[in-house]
Amino acid sequence: MTDTIFDFNGSKNAGWSQPLPLTENSSSHIPESLRRNRLPDWPRASEPELVRHYTKLSQKNFGIDTGFYPLGSCTMKHNPRLNEKIVQNPGIDRIHPLQPEDQVQGLLAIYYEMQEMLAICSGMDAVTLQPVAGAQGEFTAIRCIQEYHRERGDNHRDKVIVPDSAHGTNPASASMCGYQIIEIPSAHDGRIDLDALRSAVGEDTAAMMITNPSTLGVFEPEIAEAAEIVHSAGGQMYYDGANFNAILGKTDPGRMGFDAVHYNLHKTFSQPHGGGGPGSGPIGVKDHLSKFLPTPLVGRKELPHGDIGTVGDGFWYHWDSPASSIGKVQQWNGNAGAVVRAWAFYRRYGRDLEKMSEHAVLNANYLRFRIMNPNPDLNIHVMPIEGCPAEVVKHEFTLSMSPLKDATGVTGKDVAKRLLDFGYMAPTLYFPQIVPECLMFEPTETESKEVLDKFAEDFHAILAEDPDIVLNAPHTTPVGRVDEVWAARNLILRYPKDEPSS
Amino acid sequence: MDQLPNLGREQEMLDIMGVSSMKDLFEDIPVEIRSEGTLPLPPPQTEEEILRDAERLLGANVNLDSRPSFISAGLARNFVPSMVPMIATRGEFLTSYTPYQPEVSQGMLQAMWEFQTMISELVGLPISNVSMYDASTSAAEAITCAVRVKSKKVEMPNTVYVSELVPPHRMSVIENYTQGVGIEIRKIPHDEDGFLDLNLAAEASGSCAIYVEQPNAFGILDEGLLRLREVVGDKTAIIVGADVTSLGIVEPPGNWGADIVVGEGQPFGIGPTAGGPIYGIFACKKDFLRLMPGRIVGQSIDTEGKTAYTLTLSTREQHIRRHRATSNICSNETLIALMGAMHMALLGPVGLETLSTRILSSTRMTIDELSSVEGLELAFPKSPVFREFAVKVPGKASEALSHIFELGVIGGFDLGEWWPDRGSWILIGCDERTSESDISLLKKSLTSWVEESS
Repeated sequence: MTDTIFDFNGSKNAGWSQPLPLTENSSSHIPESLRRNRLPDWPRASEPELVRHYTKLSQKNFGIDTGFYPLGSCTMKHNPRLNEKIVQNPGIDRIHPLQPEDQVQGLLAIYYEMQEMLAICSGMDAVTLQPVAGAQGEFTAIRCIQEYHRERGDNHRDKVIVPDSAHGTNPASASMCGYQIIEIPSAHDGRIDLDALRSAVGEDTAAMMITNPSTLGVFEPEIAEAAEIVHSAGGQMYYDGANFNAILGKTDPGRMGFDAVHYNLHKTFSQPHGGGGPGSGPIGVKDHLSKFLPTPLVGRKELPHGDIGTVGDGFWYHWDSPASSIGKVQQWNGNAGAVVRAWAFYRRYGRDLEKMSEHAVLNANYLRFRIMNPNPDLNIHVMPIEGCPAEVVKHEFTLSMSPLKDATGVTGKDVAKRLLDFGYMAPTLYFPQIVPECLMFEPTETESKEVLDKFAEDFHAILAEDPDIVLNAPHTTPVGRVDEVWAARNLILRYPKDEPSS
Repeated sequence: MDQLPNLGREQEMLDIMGVSSMKDLFEDIPVEIRSEGTLPLPPPQTEEEILRDAERLLGANVNLDSRPSFISAGLARNFVPSMVPMIATRGEFLTSYTPYQPEVSQGMLQAMWEFQTMISELVGLPISNVSMYDASTSAAEAITCAVRVKSKKVEMPNTVYVSELVPPHRMSVIENYTQGVGIEIRKIPHDEDGFLDLNLAAEASGSCAIYVEQPNAFGILDEGLLRLREVVGDKTAIIVGADVTSLGIVEPPGNWGADIVVGEGQPFGIGPTAGGPIYGIFACKKDFLRLMPGRIVGQSIDTEGKTAYTLTLSTREQHIRRHRATSNICSNETLIALMGAMHMALLGPVGLETLSTRILSSTRMTIDELSSVEGLELAFPKSPVFREFAVKVPGKASEALSHIFELGVIGGFDLGEWWPDRGSWILIGCDERTSESDISLLKKSLTSWVEESS
C-alpha cells in the first residue's frame, strides 16, 4: 500500500516558500477570541515527496489514456490535449466572472457560439451554459418548466413521469423541485409502453423526462407519439441528453417533440471526466420556456459599419437577462473552462459532427456483433443474452449475464471484475435495472477496430475460462476485490489521527 | 477528423457485420423525425487553426494578472503552485470516471480520502465529502440537508434563517434549491457595523438551521458569532460559509459550534477560471452523515485484508435511491478537489498560516492607504475584515470603476449590482499577490476619481 500523505515525516520546515507578508503584526487586527489556536494537521512534505506521492497514486488509477473504457452511458471518449492547453491561457484561467463585459468580449463570443451550436444540434431555440453538471441541467430545466406552469396558473401539476429505465438523476432532480415521481414500466423490449404512459398522464402531469436512445441503447421509434400524449395532457417533454452522442446530425430532440433538453459537455463534447467531475450541463429550451432560463445568457448586436469590435467580427457581445428568469443555479456563469474545452472540441468537427455520431454507432454495433458471434471453436460455457433484441443499436448496448449466473454462478459483477485483469475498465454494471445481471457497453467513436476485436476476444476468453478464476477476480490489480460492506460498517472517512471532536 | 481511428474503414467493419451501409445503422430513426442535410455549422478545423482562434479570442479578454486587480467577491485571484496543474492533469487522473471500480481507482480514491481529511482538519469537523459544484450549491444543499435532519426534532420544521448579507447570486441558488421542497427562508439583519444582530438571531432558536458567513459579503469577521450556539440553542443546526484561506489565522467554525461548514474551495487549487470549474467544500458533524449530499470515500480492506479505499454510503445517492436520494448530484468537481488537495498539501500547516497572514496583511495595508484619501469612506470602519472591504466613493461606483480601469487598474466590484441602495460602494478584494505598488496605483487612481468627481 502507498503510504498516506500524512505519513511523510521528512519535512519539518516552514512549508512551501512564499513571499513575506506586506506588513508585520497584521493579526493584531483580528480579535483575540477569533484567532486560531491550533493549526490544521495537514501534511508536512516537500514538493519532491508530493510529486512522487501523487505520481504513484496516478499509477493506481485507470483512465481512458490507460486503456479501453467501455463504460455505458458515460461516453468515455478520448480527451484531446489541445483543450487542456487552451484552458491554461490566462484569458480564461485568470478571468473573474464579475468583470464587466467590455473586459471579456472573447469569452462572451465563445459562449455565444456555443449557445448557437447547441441550439442547432438539438433543435432548440435558446440555450444557457450555466448548469455545471448533467443532473444540474435536469434540475434547471424542470425549474423552468415549473415556472412555466405556475405562470399559466397551472399550479395543480405536481407530478413528473419517468420510465423505470431512466437515469437515477432524473427522478432525483424532479424530486428536488418538489415533484412527485410517477415511474412507468417499460415494455418487454425496453421501449416506452405507450399504454402505460396514456394511463399515467393527466391534469396533474407537469413533465415527462426521458432519454432517447434509451438507456438500453435503442432508438425509441414512438417518441413523437409519446410527446403527443404528454402534450395533449398539458405536460412538457424533457430530453435527458446523456445519450446525445448517438444522434448528432441524424435527428434532434426538437424534431422528436421535446420542449427542453440538457447536454453533457463532459460526454458528447469531451470535457474530461476527471475522476468524477467537473462536468457541464447546459440546457436548451423551446421559445415558450426561454424567458425562464437562468441568468445570464449571452446576446450580441451588430456594430456600426466599419467597427470590427474587440474580437474582430463586427459584433458587441453582452450579457442578457431573460424576463422571468429563475435566477441562478450556480453562483457564476457556469463551468466556463468546460465550455471552452467543449468549444475547442466541437470546432474539430464543425458541420461534420454527424461523423462523430456515425462512428460512435458503428463502433457500438460492431462490438455488439463481435461479442455475440464468437469463434465456434471456443469452449464458451454459455452466452449472454441481449438486453434488447433490436436489429441495430445506437451508441451503446446491454447484455444480460443471467444465463451465465444460472449455469456457473458467475455474476455480471464477476465478469466486470475479471475484465479489469485484462486491462479494461468494466462496462456499466447493473444498469438499467430492468435488465437482470446487466452489463452496458459504450465503446465511443475514438476506439479502433483492433481494440474492439481484441476486447471481444478477451471477453470470450472470460466466458470460456474456469468459473473460479472469474468468481475471485480481479487478480492483477493494485488491490483485490474491495470489501464495500466493511467500508460502510467501519466508516473510516479520514486519517484517524487527532480527529476533531464532534 | 483526426479523432476517429476507424475513418475510411467503415465498409470493412460493416461487411463483417453484414450491414450494407452506414445509413442502415440509422434506419431505426423514423423518417418523419430525421434531420435533413448538413448541420448549419462552420467547416471542421485542425488543431493548429483552433489554437489560433482560441488565442485570439481569449487574448481579447483582460486577464487579472495583466494589471493591478482588486476584484474578488467570493472568488480569489490566487497563486497556484506549478506542480498542481501539471501533476493533477496526468492522464490517469484526468481521463478517469467516478471510481465505481475501486480495484483500478485506488489513486483517486486515496487522494480524495486524504482531501476529506485535510478539509476536516481545516474547518474543525469530522466529515467531509469529495466536493460540491461551488460555494453556493454547498450552502443550498447544506440547508436542505439540515432540514432533513432537524425537521422532526424542532418546533419550526422546514424553517431556516439566513443572514441578509448573503450575496444575491448565492441567495438565488439557495432559493432555487429550497423553494420546491417547502422550506421557508427567513432573513436575519445585520447592525450598522455589519455584525449579525444576535437579538434577532435568537428567533432562529427552534428552527431547523441558521446560515451565516464568516467573513461576510463585506469581508467582516464577526466576533459575535462565537456566541451563536448559545443564542440559537442546541437543537438548531448552525451552517457557516467560510473563506477557506482565512482559516490559517481565524478560528475554524467547527470549534465554535458549526454543524456544517461550506465554502468556496477554489483558492486552493485553481484560478478564478471565469467562475468555473471550481469546487464547493462540504463538511459536517456525524449526525448529518447519512443524510448529506455528495460522494464520500471510506477506507476498507480487500480480500487479503490489505488496506484499500472505496466510495461508501452510496445508498444516499441518486443512482441507488432515485427520487428518495439526498441529492441529485452525480458529477461533482473531483479533479478540482484533487488540485485543492495538492495545493493544501504543499502549503502544509505553516504555509497555510503564512498564506492567511499575507492576505490579511495586504488587506490591512490597502485599507490604511485608502483611509488617507479624502473623499473615500470605509463603509464599516470599526469592523475587522479579511480579504475584502467596502468603500464609499463620490458618485456612482460603476463610473468610478470605469475611470480607474482607464488608468490601468481593476478596482473591485460595484456593490450596486447586488444591492441598488449601495450604488456608490466598491467591494475591494486583496490577496496574497497584492503588492505595495498595486496598492499605490489603486490609491492614485481612486484619488483621481475623487478629484474628477468633485
